[in-house]
Amino acid sequence: MVQHRLPMLPSAGEVPWIASVNGTEKKLNIENNAILLDVLRDQAGSLGTKRGCDMGTCGCCSVLIDGEPRLSCLTLAVEADGCKITTVEGLADGHHLHPIQEMFAECGGSQCGFCTPGFLVVASSLLENNPSPNDEEIKSAIEGNLCRCTGYQQIVDSIRAASEILISEETIEDSTSPKSDPHPGFTGE
Amino acid sequence: MAEETNQDEMVGYRQQPGKLPFAKPGSGGKDRFSSPRDEEMIPKSQGGDLAQPWGSHRHDELISGQVIGKPTSLVDGKWKVTGQAQYGDDIRLPGELIGRIIRSPHHYARVLSIDCSKALELSGVVAIATGVDASNKFGVLPVTKDEHAMAVEKVRHVGDLVACVAAEDEATAREAERLIEVEYEILDSIHDIREGLENSEYPIHDRGKYHIGEANIQKRVFQEFGDVDGIHDNAIASHKQNWIFSGVNHAATEPHAVVGHWDPSGRLTLYTPQQVPHYVHRALADVLEIPMHQINVYRTFVGGGFGGKSDPFPHEMCAAILARKAGRPVRITFDREEVYWINRGRHPSRIEMNLHADEEGRICGIETDALIDGGGFASFGHVTTYYNGVLHTAPYEIGAFHYTGARVWTNKPASGAMRGHGAVNSRCAVETGLDDLAEQLSVDPIDLRLANLLPPHSATITGFRVTSIGMRECLERVKEESGWEKKFRKMPLGKGIGIGCGFFISGSGLPIHWDPNKFPHATVHLKIDMDGGVTVHTGAADIGQGSDTVVAQSVAEVLGLPLDMIRVRSKESDTSPVDLGSYSSRVTFMNANAAISAAMKIRDELLDATVEITGAKRDKLVIGDRRIFDKKDPAVGVSYLEALHKAQEDRGALVSSGAYRTPPMGRTHKGAAAGLAPAYSFSAYVAEVSVDVETGQTKVDKVWAAHDCGKALNPLAVKGQIIGSCHMGMGQVLSEEMRYGRTGHLMNPDLLDYKIPSVHEMPEVFPIIVESNDPEGPFGAKEAGEGPLLPILPAVCNAVYDAIGVRAAELPITPDRLLKLIERKCKAEGINDPRELQSPRLEHSDLQTILSDRSDEHKKRDLDRRLNQDRQPYHNGALFGLDPTIPPDEIDEKWAVNVIPSQDYIENPRLAGSAWKHTERRHRGDS
Repeated sequence: MVQHRLPMLPSAGEVPWIASVNGTEKKLNIENNAILLDVLRDQAGSLGTKRGCDMGTCGCCSVLIDGEPRLSCLTLAVEADGCKITTVEGLADGHHLHPIQEMFAECGGSQCGFCTPGFLVVASSLLENNPSPNDEEIKSAIEGNLCRCTGYQQIVDSIRAASEILISEETIEDSTSPKSDPHPGFTGE
Repeated sequence: MAEETNQDEMVGYRQQPGKLPFAKPGSGGKDRFSSPRDEEMIPKSQGGDLAQPWGSHRHDELISGQVIGKPTSLVDGKWKVTGQAQYGDDIRLPGELIGRIIRSPHHYARVLSIDCSKALELSGVVAIATGVDASNKFGVLPVTKDEHAMAVEKVRHVGDLVACVAAEDEATAREAERLIEVEYEILDSIHDIREGLENSEYPIHDRGKYHIGEANIQKRVFQEFGDVDGIHDNAIASHKQNWIFSGVNHAATEPHAVVGHWDPSGRLTLYTPQQVPHYVHRALADVLEIPMHQINVYRTFVGGGFGGKSDPFPHEMCAAILARKAGRPVRITFDREEVYWINRGRHPSRIEMNLHADEEGRICGIETDALIDGGGFASFGHVTTYYNGVLHTAPYEIGAFHYTGARVWTNKPASGAMRGHGAVNSRCAVETGLDDLAEQLSVDPIDLRLANLLPPHSATITGFRVTSIGMRECLERVKEESGWEKKFRKMPLGKGIGIGCGFFISGSGLPIHWDPNKFPHATVHLKIDMDGGVTVHTGAADIGQGSDTVVAQSVAEVLGLPLDMIRVRSKESDTSPVDLGSYSSRVTFMNANAAISAAMKIRDELLDATVEITGAKRDKLVIGDRRIFDKKDPAVGVSYLEALHKAQEDRGALVSSGAYRTPPMGRTHKGAAAGLAPAYSFSAYVAEVSVDVETGQTKVDKVWAAHDCGKALNPLAVKGQIIGSCHMGMGQVLSEEMRYGRTGHLMNPDLLDYKIPSVHEMPEVFPIIVESNDPEGPFGAKEAGEGPLLPILPAVCNAVYDAIGVRAAELPITPDRLLKLIERKCKAEGINDPRELQSPRLEHSDLQTILSDRSDEHKKRDLDRRLNQDRQPYHNGALFGLDPTIPPDEIDEKWAVNVIPSQDYIENPRLAGSAWKHTERRHRGDS
């Protein structure tokens, strides 16, 4: 028996595409049937946006489109033409991490880290709109994201801790600040 | 540290080799930068404040109060939260091609021909490979190498690899996939596990003279320990249950991906998210027919493994083969469906569990028969077949153990190792059986367990050497914290509470590749140059569990350095020593032990240097935070960097190597090595559930999860493992299932229909860490990654029984399955409305007092054995009146070990036991 497969749906050609990705204007030529996730990963250089399932079930590919969390694997790139797109790479301010990033690293919200970009993007949008969410609100916000490592508990803890930092307006230390000095107390005199 | 200091004082120190004026003895005593030793983290036996209820440990004197035991965030956490961690598909090399795999649409077929000509004509297609390009077999276990990179003769399941193609872009690759014409001759496929036991015309694999009958039996095991014949004379209560467990998939969020690249010097670098890079290294050498030193296996960040990334995979071979043919890097990334085709998830199983208790409430017999579905390939299956039996011979002292197990090939994606490898299903059957026995005996199930535990430093019935045991403490803690006494058998219909326990290996005693014989299981190299930072080279694969963090912590602790001075290089086989990989919960135990031993060598050199500088007595010196000083007179000492530079005089960087190998242990019968481990972890969970009797919907509300991990090196990570294990186990017990349709087709190869719990299904988990201070573990630690998964399944099953009086024996307990059981119970009791069902109640019998008394007595015995170093040997069997100091089979011939079934048994076997009806070809004399 010989096996036959259907051909892929052809693209109708390339179209110009302009969008602001993490604050930088990207002018690209994309296939008009391209999926946003593919454009972000393959053309716009956002490898932080992860591909988990291609069908909107895992939430790993979440990005913010004009501030709203969206599944980039279910979004045609042309739909985001002219929009402001924020991926996980756009959350930090230079070497100052966003509190949500700092807390995911600190409170165990990230184990293998593959689902983390999706959770971070969704959680940052939650905290933007609701700086002090209760646990139920946190759970509702991340219900579309799957995590296989943490069992979610430490993710909820991380978001709660980030919310506390945001409210208290604590500053996050620049990650390039000096680390431990191997020669404490010695001044070279 | 630096916060309290004036910034102006910080500057001024520059490292100028050769110009460093070494401080005089006594300098740095009024140190404002270095924090004092953290007394709360230092054990009492070393002059600190840390209580040691489990006694002292050989690593106590190495504890400098830095990081061990403190909640520590992952050392690579910042890479993950910024999106800069590179997983398999994030490796993008210049000039890369996209690889796609052509997979079989048939369950079982002979490949007659493959015509690639049309595809090769397609512009953009660079290389195509088929089975003829790599005909050598490989497999994770050297004894069962039965996989090819691509089908050589037959395809064995839907999704089995037939060919692969590399093209300029994905669309072209997919188009080429379509143009490759494969001619198949379809063979009769096997989907029911039971059919695998029968002779078949075309067995899925041919094992030559070792083939069992003409059947599809990949491995069969028979084991008898203890007084098996006496079970039925002694038993006053017996439990029997036939279980059906569905297969489950790891469902790691990262689909498999691989990049192969041959560099200009002709060496292969394979970038792959692997748990076990070393076995891939070996398999690549076999398949590509090049020496191992010509290959560099680069482990990328791993987006979740759970056992699903621990085999050497055919697609990894494909990437290397395509890249070799094309002369360019090739990247292959799976879509979600392909993850299910490669599978290696938990075996679908049929388990018959028989448990027996005698008049004193002792477990006088366990008889298990496990038939497990291996799918198309062997994978880890040889081991899994043993694990389904031997891993439930503890933590209880038992009078007899009979196990028959068989693993058969079927035309499904291969099963393999998954978190809790081989132990999960049969443990669920044992623990629910114990609950039933307690019910029959009218005693509390926790007290039944407490009165039957093995003591610390004992041997199980199969001869496993158990060192530390925190089982009793786990049970006591969950009983107290869950409010068990007030809830068990006392809650209204629809609300229930249940207990489950677990026992798991902490590393396997024998490495899979035992050649060369005395090669260590784990090796760690350290390098410290002028800057004082420590580079740790290790091959241990961090799959998110935090193994890089643990190894960094161990080194930091021994050298008295903050964590940020340690950098771990664990990714490349070129630079890291061989480590056997992240499986069987071995990494923390073995790799941290190796790291400690490497760090001790550096520590010795630093102490020698300090003695030379200060003239202080060596045995008086201690290491604190970046300082080495006299413990009585802290003003006498030097900074770490001063000691380091002294030690480096005339030789440069300090380097050291440390290794770990398990001690010799275990018995000598066939299969004695399976399940042997240098230490074992224990756990006990109580789950509280709500069951809707009208819909059959079960919700887990709360879980109290106590796990004995020996010593929590990083409590944050241990808690994460416990909660994560609950999540994965809850999936298996309530919703996850690889569903095969009537024609044997997998119906749910995606995350929409394969239902892993979301945040709303997760119960509130209260992780409880019990630290039994293992004598051989690093700082006392044992595993925490897999063991915590075991108890959640039976805890939920038992809680469902407590809630509605129905025992499910088929997992997952989906609403439709449970509703059928509820309806059956209503019918049997003549009730129309399920809301009128009675949930079970408990009236203690006289046996309860006997058990409580025995449990109290054993508690004293355990405490004595734990703290008293002059303990006698203790072999399983003492509870049944045998001399504990001698292995029971040497005293009593009824307790003889038996690994070959008798003719009597073969005439009337259980299900898996019927595998022994067949004779191996070599014994039939016809080949």
